Amino acid sequence: MKHRRLLFLIIGLLLALSLTLAACGPSVPTPEAEEPEPAPTEVEAAPAEEEEAAPPEEEEEAAPSEEEEAAPAEEAGADPNALPRNETLYFNGQQWGSVVGWNPYSNNNNNAMTIAQQDNARVLMFETAYLYNMLDSQVYPLLADGPYEWNADRTEITFSIKPAAHWSDGTPVTAEDYAYTWATHVKYNTPTGAANIDYIDDIVAVDDGTVMVKAKLDEDGNALNPLLVEAYLSTNYFIQKAWTQTLEERVGNDATALLADPAEDVVYSGPYHKYFADDSKVVLIRDDNYWGQDASMWGSLPVPKYLAHVIFKDNAAGTTALQAGEVDVSQQFNSNVNLLWEQDGLPISTYVPDPPYMIGASLPTAFFNLDSPGLDQVAVRKAIAMAVDYPTIIANAMTNQSATFDQVPRSLMNPTEGEQALYDHEAVADLQWVGNDIEGANALLDEAGIVDTDGDGWREYEGENLSYVATCPNGWSDWQAGIEVVAAAGAEIGIEITSNYPEWSVYQTVVTKSDAPLPEGYDIFMMWSDGAGPTQPWGRIRKLMSSEFIGMSSNWNGNWGMYANPDADAIIQAIPAETDPDALREMYTDLVRIYLTEVPSFTLMYRPQSFHTVNETVWTNFPYEGDGTNPPVPPLNLMDGWSVAGLYNLELVNP
Amino acid sequence: MKGYRNYFLTKLLWFLVTLVVAFILNFTLPRLMPGDPVAAIVARMAQGMSNTTGVQAIYEQYTELFGTNRPIVEQFFIYMRNVFRGDFGFSFSQYPRTVADVLRTSIGWTIALQFPAIVVGWSIGNWLGALAAYRKGTFDKILMPASIFASSLPAFGMAIILLVIFAVSLKWLPTSGGYGYDLIPNFSWRFMWSVITHYQLPFWSIVLITIGGQAIGMRAMAIYELNSDYVKYSRFMGIKDGKIVRYVFRNAMLPQITGLALAIGTMLFGAVVAEVIFSYPGLGSTILTAVLGQDYPLVSATTLIITIMALLANFIIEIIYGILDPRIKAAQAD
Repeated sequence: MKHRRLLFLIIGLLLALSLTLAACGPSVPTPEAEEPEPAPTEVEAAPAEEEEAAPPEEEEEAAPSEEEEAAPAEEAGADPNALPRNETLYFNGQQWGSVVGWNPYSNNNNNAMTIAQQDNARVLMFETAYLYNMLDSQVYPLLADGPYEWNADRTEITFSIKPAAHWSDGTPVTAEDYAYTWATHVKYNTPTGAANIDYIDDIVAVDDGTVMVKAKLDEDGNALNPLLVEAYLSTNYFIQKAWTQTLEERVGNDATALLADPAEDVVYSGPYHKYFADDSKVVLIRDDNYWGQDASMWGSLPVPKYLAHVIFKDNAAGTTALQAGEVDVSQQFNSNVNLLWEQDGLPISTYVPDPPYMIGASLPTAFFNLDSPGLDQVAVRKAIAMAVDYPTIIANAMTNQSATFDQVPRSLMNPTEGEQALYDHEAVADLQWVGNDIEGANALLDEAGIVDTDGDGWREYEGENLSYVATCPNGWSDWQAGIEVVAAAGAEIGIEITSNYPEWSVYQTVVTKSDAPLPEGYDIFMMWSDGAGPTQPWGRIRKLMSSEFIGMSSNWNGNWGMYANPDADAIIQAIPAETDPDALREMYTDLVRIYLTEVPSFTLMYRPQSFHTVNETVWTNFPYEGDGTNPPVPPLNLMDGWSVAGLYNLELVNP
Repeated sequence: MKGYRNYFLTKLLWFLVTLVVAFILNFTLPRLMPGDPVAAIVARMAQGMSNTTGVQAIYEQYTELFGTNRPIVEQFFIYMRNVFRGDFGFSFSQYPRTVADVLRTSIGWTIALQFPAIVVGWSIGNWLGALAAYRKGTFDKILMPASIFASSLPAFGMAIILLVIFAVSLKWLPTSGGYGYDLIPNFSWRFMWSVITHYQLPFWSIVLITIGGQAIGMRAMAIYELNSDYVKYSRFMGIKDGKIVRYVFRNAMLPQITGLALAIGTMLFGAVVAEVIFSYPGLGSTILTAVLGQDYPLVSATTLIITIMALLANFIIEIIYGILDPRIKAAQAD
């Protein structure tokens, strides 16, 4: 009897707690009556860089007919707090942890669905002037109207704004908004301001619809870095002047408060905005007044009404949800992704049906500490790099979701066609090792006189055994698998390499401190490199090889092994101003030659810009290789750069 | 009465001393970890930054804002002053969210999961343990190995077994989340039902393990009690079995109650495994992330809350013991 009472008490308690939790949930707006989905459309546009390019093609897409609008909404009686599956596109792998804010001036929002001002800017809520397409390395106008133009001296860029573009409050997007956005970045030293102030002198409104971006000039009157000035147009958002002024007033013009403001009232120009966010999920809802449905841009609204991202706590939970059909677009590493369709028979696919399944974009790289005894010798560095068994790394660490070095020979370029075309493959072919070359590595060391004289099995340099520690952060499983293979390679060629995995919080502090020699235990260490973007491959090469980062106490840029080569520095500095394609190709080839000869670091695998795996249980017509879209829609989860065009092509499996 | 007052005052004094030491340790220990928490924030801010001066400026701005560039003693006094005002400051890892805001949104889930699970697991476990001791025979022979099995399974093992069987294979229950992936929190039966179904697997993954451990402990205690003189005497007196079991249960329960109090006191830490495996919202995984990300304010605040809860639970239990069991009071008041 007593136990029964206890049981009732417990059940009552559970219910009470559930109710409390439910009641605690923030209120959400009631969705409007459901509208019929606009028919899918193949969006086409012309690259912005071609001067003679026609404006984006006018879409013949008709607005939903009156008949359709008048039709009673199917889900009129549906639960307003449930997201209709046929109108919601689910994601994973983007948002880890709760959203902190919606402030486009700050990088501290942890708001992966809407804010990322980067090489492939995220444009669901806030928009850039141009959209970068990593597949053809072109930019296409978004808020801008047609291509941008450099003046004759390449010191000023001018572009106009689409007359149809308007903010979520209905007011037009103007050049003054863009100019004021820049002025605010500078005034409050936002990350965007700090990142660009060395290259952009000013952004001004020529008139309401025309923007001029003025480059910072060197003493000769040339733009310091035209490449970064161009990149600004596709990587940074338009933010409304009127809202910015409201924000400034709210925070009393205080820079720290401005960046810390959660900006729940922000005005935006993009097709989606906040519908709901808590510790468990983020939901965006389509703005049906989005300007982009104008014929001068997309000609229709994006297909899904809601974009939702459940916040998973690890990859395993995300993969389970993908398998269950609760996730449509997966931006996370799903181990052995091919088994999902080959073995489980699920309607899941990747951008490319066969290995490497994804388009590689960044180059996870092992850096040598060039101050470690012996690692200052090219022969030792190159021998280690030659002996590494890369196919094992790619098979184990990436479960074949990376191209091999047979398929894409190593250079400084990622596997995209645009970058591969930038250097002379023939000229450096004899320098491109594919790995597992124990014989070659041993011969190289013997030739350099670095041999085992005391017979203990380890080679010596200047009387000391060659003994190193290879390291990467603990728990970064793909990097750890790579480091283990590097250590195993050392043993094959008489170089002792042990592995060590400190926590990321410690690792990052040590590795990014470039104003002092790296401490013991960091002889060979992993870091990332840039992916695909409008400044690439120049940006990536700069961060792998430029000596300008040596001496920084907080170096989040690159060259963490502190390599210095004046020849490489000179080429890296000259590339941004160079416009002749042949000269550029020659410069890039020279850089690849230097890199593969001196081996200051070496790439272990290729990694996609975003993982892009889709489940076609509910939605279909996702981008895939050779899908016929023109320009091709890149596999960036339908939210980054030109990839957003994919949202207009989606179709329901069961309409 | 005087004896009890002395006992109470001694316990209170020790409670306060421990609290002060714990407060200092809560502040100091996280800050002794190697590494620089501001570097992680700068890493986020530096995305897409390509010049050298910008990153440096941002680093300095944040060390100033969080005060990590000041001497640790000064940081301690600032921390102490703020804590007494109930202000734990900004969370480093979720800046610009405050620690209070982070705790507010996740603590409810953890308590709702842990508290009933601990109470239910504890109650069922003790009841089964006492029953096994009293009934012996087949019941005991089945329960004992089952309890040993359940209690020796690691928490993640139990969680994964339940996940694979009931969510992935049988599809009776959802695989992850605190409520339906397609729902927005609201006051409706559908949502509440969703919360209840999502609750089951994390809940039982904790309960089953708790039951095993409690049953083993209770069985041993009860067997000891069953052989004591008062039980034999009761039997000679012809007192009914049910009543005797109740006497035994009450006496055997004293050490189990200490365990219960401590489990409740430290429950905020306890559900990390269930939270991660079932992607269940809550504080456990937030604390884990905070520790790994060197989020000093969040780590200090949560450990302080847990310390106070554990100390309070312990203190209350000792006070109650003093009343329940005069032997303890007598032994300690001397």
